[in-house]
Amino acid sequence: MSLLQPGELNLSYPRFALRLVRRAFLGGVRFYATMTVLTCVFLVGVNAWAHQLRSGMVVTHMTDHVSWGLYIANFTFSVGLAAGAVMMVIPAYLYEDEEMHDVVLVGELLAIAAIVACIGFIVVDMGRPDRMWHVIPGVGRFNWPISMLTWDVIVLNGYLILNLHIVGYLTYMKYLGVRPRRVFYLPFVFLSIGWAISIHSVTAFLYSGLGGRPFWNSALLAPRFIASAFITGPAFVIMLLYAIKRFAPHFRFTDEPMQLLASILRVTILVNLFMFGSEAFTLFYSGGSHAASGRYLFLGLDGRHGLVPWIWTAVGLNLASAVLIHSHPSRTNPRVLLAACACAFAGVWIEKGMGLIVPGFVPSTLHELVEYAPSLVEWRVSAGVWAFAAMVLIALLRMVLPVLSGELCEARPSLRSVPPASSRRESEVS
Amino acid sequence: MDKTKRRTLKVLGGTLGATAFAYALEPLTAWTKEQSLDEFLQRHYKELSKSELEAVLRRIEQKTRETYGVDVHVTDLHPQEGVEFGYALNLSVCIGCRKCAEACHKENNHDRATNNSYIRVLEMDQGTFDLEKGTTTYDHAVPAPGKYYLPVQCQQCDNAPCVKVCPVQATWKERDGIVVVDYNWCIGCRYCEAACPYHARRFNWQKPQVPAAELNPDQGYLSNRVRPQGVVEKCTFCLHRTRAGRLPACLEACPTGARVFGNLLDPDSEIRWVLANKRVFVLKEELGTRPRFFYFFDT
Amino acid sequence: MRHGPCEGRPVPFLQRSDLCLVVCGSLLSCADRPREVAPAPGPQQGATTVHEPEKLVSVESAHLDSLGKPVRVRCATCHAIRDAGVFPESTDGLREFHAGLVVKHGPLSCGSCHVLLSGGEPTLHLSDGTHLMTQDTMRLCAQCHGPKFRDYSHGTHGGMTGYWDLSKGSRTRNHCVDCHDPHSPAFAPSRPVLPPRDRFLPSAHERSERSHG
Repeated sequence: MSLLQPGELNLSYPRFALRLVRRAFLGGVRFYATMTVLTCVFLVGVNAWAHQLRSGMVVTHMTDHVSWGLYIANFTFSVGLAAGAVMMVIPAYLYEDEEMHDVVLVGELLAIAAIVACIGFIVVDMGRPDRMWHVIPGVGRFNWPISMLTWDVIVLNGYLILNLHIVGYLTYMKYLGVRPRRVFYLPFVFLSIGWAISIHSVTAFLYSGLGGRPFWNSALLAPRFIASAFITGPAFVIMLLYAIKRFAPHFRFTDEPMQLLASILRVTILVNLFMFGSEAFTLFYSGGSHAASGRYLFLGLDGRHGLVPWIWTAVGLNLASAVLIHSHPSRTNPRVLLAACACAFAGVWIEKGMGLIVPGFVPSTLHELVEYAPSLVEWRVSAGVWAFAAMVLIALLRMVLPVLSGELCEARPSLRSVPPASSRRESEVS
Repeated sequence: MDKTKRRTLKVLGGTLGATAFAYALEPLTAWTKEQSLDEFLQRHYKELSKSELEAVLRRIEQKTRETYGVDVHVTDLHPQEGVEFGYALNLSVCIGCRKCAEACHKENNHDRATNNSYIRVLEMDQGTFDLEKGTTTYDHAVPAPGKYYLPVQCQQCDNAPCVKVCPVQATWKERDGIVVVDYNWCIGCRYCEAACPYHARRFNWQKPQVPAAELNPDQGYLSNRVRPQGVVEKCTFCLHRTRAGRLPACLEACPTGARVFGNLLDPDSEIRWVLANKRVFVLKEELGTRPRFFYFFDT
Repeated sequence: MRHGPCEGRPVPFLQRSDLCLVVCGSLLSCADRPREVAPAPGPQQGATTVHEPEKLVSVESAHLDSLGKPVRVRCATCHAIRDAGVFPESTDGLREFHAGLVVKHGPLSCGSCHVLLSGGEPTLHLSDGTHLMTQDTMRLCAQCHGPKFRDYSHGTHGGMTGYWDLSKGSRTRNHCVDCHDPHSPAFAPSRPVLPPRDRFLPSAHERSERSHG
């Protein structure tokens, strides 16, 4: 970049990042109180995880029959959250909706936090996290391209880097008061759209590629994942924008992006319900032993119905969200919209988490019926991971939002301060 | 609030946070003591040189001596030229006594409390092959009228889903057809357990507990040595026995001779006679896993 | 664009080769060691022996030994020195060591298999009248249970211990009489061992309670 003085190139970006980090940890009483609470939850999780590592995963309620549980359920959900959060990129850049640009950054921050959660959930699910280095390509033995899990490692980390770059670059340019050059972010933005689809498709292939698990072995799984991701992402961003509005009113967002997100939700909630229904129809109409997991999930099997209340709650929440978001008040009354978002978010969390992972294992491949309900340790660890991700999100928002609002900028006169509009266009042309 | 007060509070908060973090991680001190640097840095089985592997085997023996006070012999037997193993099971003869499961339990140093074994025997209703109608927890005199018994263990698939999904190649198929796990390379993600259609894999949810007196001292690196916590294990057709020419433990324990084991490449072997003369079938053939474990009923 | 401090300056050859070494080294370290292969099975050396059950040449007495096991008496103890007389009509007519014998073997009677000879070892006969020593009982079984004997001969019935690879060791086979009492050959039901005790796996008892209740 020609606008920097020689010798400053290597340092100014880290210095900027450091300044933001420092800034992120300054705040009022309410901020410290929130962070303290989250830290406490996180530490409880860390403690539970340390306990799990020492005593073995016997402290979870997973078994050889149900070998994945709450951790992988949350992992799947958070991948969806990460993918969905980038959904806003599409209207912003594909349709050149200028209003959306700032909101896009919020979505990408959410994606970063969600990826942090994903990685956290994978780590806590590993029996031997000390052997993590075996997965590093070139250092360990990376079973690429055969294992879908290696694809997941690539796409998740790639997605993290991609989003860090986009957010970092756009924020930095704003900080410098320079108009960002399209060539440095636009290709990555488009790449991230495709990539968002890929992270969630690969996660779906993780399950749908297993022939021995008929409940997952469905081509509809990936599209369903994408549809539900495009519920959780926008729903969470809407709630987040309202939270920002409420707690940090000086950051002004127009209502337009929110309405656009609501319109997206109106479609995706219905699409998701439709796919959910088609899956259920295929299961129940054809019947047979391949439907055993479905029967266990919805009706209970052989006197066991641990998941029945969960899934009907999810169905109820999904239906409620569909009704709420299509009702007229959702366009005028933010409370109705927020309620719809909350319902949709919780509904998908159940449907795609416990409602998808656990029935894949019940009954087992030899049709043994072993039920699963998470243990206290699993709840603690999961809460810890979510708390950590929440802290990351809050910190990121506190770093980026002040820059976007112009509150924080590079003020040194040696570099170009906010240039006049005409010169900005010049730099754009050059 | 003046600046010094603020700083004091910050320092106090930081100290408190760090202390709390250290306290939260406290359970790990016991765990880290059990880990050794050699073990942490050990490379994949296939990458170990002859001398490195030798050192690893001696280290495992040493560790077993320290933990159990028992001298064990850990070997690494190689697959044989011209040998590919196959297994067949005569369902007309099997009486469901679970002696095979018991022999596996003892031979492979399985956790005692959970009665762990690589073999699960299903009691099935005559006239159905629907696994859903089977049960593994039957507890009455066998063979019971109207029932037949279906023992299931690793099918040593040629197109093994477990091998495909492993992200770190910790499990692979040996040239004699046996699917093995490097217990020192497995990261414990349990993807293979989800992928296996035969419930053949077990995870060490905790360190297996075996009384020192009951430890089987004849151990293989890729088979029945005492497994570490947090890794996946499976049936290896007792390769520490079978690669030395011996029969697998489950076969020797079978009181009715329902089990047939041998070299698929030897046209005179018992297993080849079964394949040529009995109407054999494999479990879940439609999944395309191509098992090396065959079942048949007497004609 | 600005040039970095190193750009344009010639990079010393050594540095580049160092880099190459590191790359090659890391690639080499990932390379698999060539797998060793053990030699193929050689010519057969080991023998297959068939276990000889005591039941073939002796019978349980009413006395127990110090371990609580019934003392066995060889058939020849009596039969070498005295005539067996005639076969009784039914098992009720059996006396002494044979009293209480249960015969449940289709329509067979004593004479179907046994021969009455005065003096000498007790003997069996095939359907064509050929006499057999009791050690050769399997030939007698085989004349009716052909398919079972065929399966047995091919190692798919009756079990074995020892070596699959007879170039490395020997093998012991069970005898028909090890598992099947010729007088009532049905395999007796037994309690299964080692029930699965996985966590959260409902036991047989729980299962039946649920399905009935």
